[in-house]
Amino acid sequence: MYDYIVIGAGVIGSCIARELSRYQLKVLVLEKENDVANVQSLANSAIVHSGHNPEPGSLKAKLSVWGNKLYEDMEKELDIPLIRTGAFVVAHNEDEEEQLIELAKTAKINQVPEFSILNYNEAVLIEPNLSKTITKVLSLPTTKVTYPWEVAFAAMENAIKNGVEFKKNALVTAISKENKKFQVTVNNKKIYETLNIINAAGVASDDIASLIENNVKFKIKGRKGEYFVLDKRVKGFVNHVLYPLPTELGKGVLITPQVHGEILLGPNSLEVEDKYHPTTSYDGLAYVKEHASMLAENIPFNQIIRSFAGIRSTSDYDDFYIKESLEYTNLYHLGGIDSPGLTACFAIAKYLVNDVMNVDQKYNINPNFDPYRKKRKLFHRLSNEEKLALISEEPLYGNIICKCEKITEKEILDAMHGPLGSNTIKGIKKRTRAGAGLCQGGYCEEKIMKMIAKEFNLSPLEVAYDKEETKLFVSETKVKL
Amino acid sequence: MMRDIVVIGGGASGLAASISAKKKGKDVLLIEREDTLGGILNQCIHNGFGLEVFKEEYTGPEYAHKFVEEFMDLKIDYLINTTVIKLDKNNDDFIITLSSKELGIKNITARSVIISSGCYERTRGQISMPGDRPNGVITAGSAQRYLNINGYMVGKKVFILGSGDIGLIMARRMYLEGAEVLGVAEIMPYSNGLNRNIVQCLNDFDIPLYLSHTVTNVEADEFKKLKAITIQQVDERFNPIPNTEKHFEVDTLLLSIGLIPDITLLDDLYVEVDPKTKSAKINQAYETSVKGLFICGNSLQVHDLVDNVSKESTRAGISASDYLDGLVKDRKKIAIKPGKNVLYVAPQYLDFGWEDKDLLITFRSSKKIEKAIVKVYQGEALVYQKRRAFIVPAEMETLSFAYQELNQDQDLMIEIEEV
Repeated sequence: MYDYIVIGAGVIGSCIARELSRYQLKVLVLEKENDVANVQSLANSAIVHSGHNPEPGSLKAKLSVWGNKLYEDMEKELDIPLIRTGAFVVAHNEDEEEQLIELAKTAKINQVPEFSILNYNEAVLIEPNLSKTITKVLSLPTTKVTYPWEVAFAAMENAIKNGVEFKKNALVTAISKENKKFQVTVNNKKIYETLNIINAAGVASDDIASLIENNVKFKIKGRKGEYFVLDKRVKGFVNHVLYPLPTELGKGVLITPQVHGEILLGPNSLEVEDKYHPTTSYDGLAYVKEHASMLAENIPFNQIIRSFAGIRSTSDYDDFYIKESLEYTNLYHLGGIDSPGLTACFAIAKYLVNDVMNVDQKYNINPNFDPYRKKRKLFHRLSNEEKLALISEEPLYGNIICKCEKITEKEILDAMHGPLGSNTIKGIKKRTRAGAGLCQGGYCEEKIMKMIAKEFNLSPLEVAYDKEETKLFVSETKVKL
Repeated sequence: MMRDIVVIGGGASGLAASISAKKKGKDVLLIEREDTLGGILNQCIHNGFGLEVFKEEYTGPEYAHKFVEEFMDLKIDYLINTTVIKLDKNNDDFIITLSSKELGIKNITARSVIISSGCYERTRGQISMPGDRPNGVITAGSAQRYLNINGYMVGKKVFILGSGDIGLIMARRMYLEGAEVLGVAEIMPYSNGLNRNIVQCLNDFDIPLYLSHTVTNVEADEFKKLKAITIQQVDERFNPIPNTEKHFEVDTLLLSIGLIPDITLLDDLYVEVDPKTKSAKINQAYETSVKGLFICGNSLQVHDLVDNVSKESTRAGISASDYLDGLVKDRKKIAIKPGKNVLYVAPQYLDFGWEDKDLLITFRSSKKIEKAIVKVYQGEALVYQKRRAFIVPAEMETLSFAYQELNQDQDLMIEIEEV
């Protein structure tokens, strides 16, 4: 019997799990995917927004400004990567300049700590590749960029360390309630009992709610966003996040520097019929190129190494829906956590746990709670002295497996073990970046496949890309060499 | 210890370059990141190698073995399982940073460096292929390695995008392994592979080739495994033509959509790069814009035949040796530029300081031309011409002429004229 079951291990579920682990509680996290951060948290812009554009007074406004501040703490506690890029929202003409001034007013009401309006001549000194068609920018120095996968890994690893249980490949198929206890059925088989349920299922959150509620108060519509990734060779092309003016569709197509040096272009924002199935399209990608070009001159499109589509769990409720169920007490929903969900994730967790659920008043503090989690640094980013010191202890740091991102054998082995270790190609990529570079795994996937097989005592036929069903191979060659 | 020449990459190119430099009496160290020498040849178990160099037909591993044997007989120094992670220059010397399990991270110095690091395969990301991103879309070379080295099949129902030679070879290979190969789509109106491969790998097995077609959608199943693809005909500007869609249910999409020279090691050296070859610009001695730094094989330009890689790299090895012997003078250089109907040329410079080197120009046409005249102009003056019955982009062309009498101030331009 659990005190809390959290459904979903994206950045939101992972941060909630960690927040709950501050108390003397028995907590279980159920994730349908084969890894944390595998749907909405997998594919997004990675921005920690300043909180400049949500409607004043909304939860989005409050939690994004607060969430942005919390990232500073989490960088220290959880070793989450953070680059302090700042951002420019751009205007191209008088009309847009007026909107920019309105936006600055919103930023002020939302208590964004610092902002200023610069004219083109001032801004271009800071960002030399800024589009010449731009006339003014709203500078938002508190905007940052993080690494969403690492946010989920860090929060969940820390939660596990503090006593939370985590089960992946665990699809919730039924929920019922009897005698103040919920019965949560996983994969149509196993039943877990719990006093409370937190529905942090993101894109699936309305479907999870409908497993038990007759009248679900929010409906996830699903808006996809398409992106290009430019190789890390373009690092420095822009150093700020560049935004157009926001519209009702969202923040628009952005140019976003990433923590490992790549640059993202995108996203567009299109409502899709199948929210579980965002795909890229000719038109969508062309739209991204066209709109990105309004932000900067001479974007190096020849450095594109990947395109992808992500999904936002936008709902018909026009704010974050973070409430207790109207039909069942002790069932809590986090619906419509689209942008700025990543920005707000740590604040959402605190708001839910303390303000909505009053856990801090109901339960005792976990005396063993350790807020700290240390991430191993990327080896190739260490100083020469640090590298040599590590290599003398562990020679496997000398063996480069992913040549594009310079990821070593030791780092890949580390990613296979530990509380959130992975035995899949995709899991290793998310943890180490092996395969995320120029050749997109063309060189290293085979080596990682062999390492996984060896380390987990599997036949190569059993090694999967992600889910169990996505095996790399179908059979052995007819004649073995 | 200061090395004469460090060769980076131990495939066909690096082996030939090391051998020719060693035969000139130079102290050579070859560095290879894999656990064996021979490079990609080791996974090319089909035949067709060696007709030009050995006048005999070999498989890839056999061809590699011939060179490895000679390399070993010459007792050339080499390191395997060793990756070069940085290449830098300090005055006239090169600093090569190595990483391996045995050595850790170590700097070595050399008076000259030959880059023979081969190429990598273009990915679906680089062509922005629309649709899902499922497991089952894989570059043809990676699938070839899995099949021929590791011994595993990546799928049973296969479609191939791109008619590059690896794609064609893999069409036949997977067919012979029992897979159903449903077709090959090529966005250009002509094949990008050698004609012999179209005949021997597709026609002989009734595998259809869809010219002027590309993949316009990729569909995944609920587990994100490849389920189906759509191909579509394209117009002259490569835009898909509506209502030409063809749907194929497949578990594998192999990509043979181009090879790109791997020159990431040159990033710190400010080497002049040709956007057309996507590699360093060179002079007729295979020397880059950095003195003493040479490049050859598929890291210079993607070849159709390994025999040409070996020949080119042999010349590059000799050039590096000549450089160390002080045979190069400080003289003028002129550019060699691609003109009408020419996709690219290499070398991009003619350096009169290397006046003892023969000039062998390699180039590709930008389209298929029957009855062509290849002309080399210096300003208005026609300095060389030759007739060719048939020129296609898939086959590398060469030309050579004596240049010592040329005017040393005006650039050269290569054109292909349609007769």
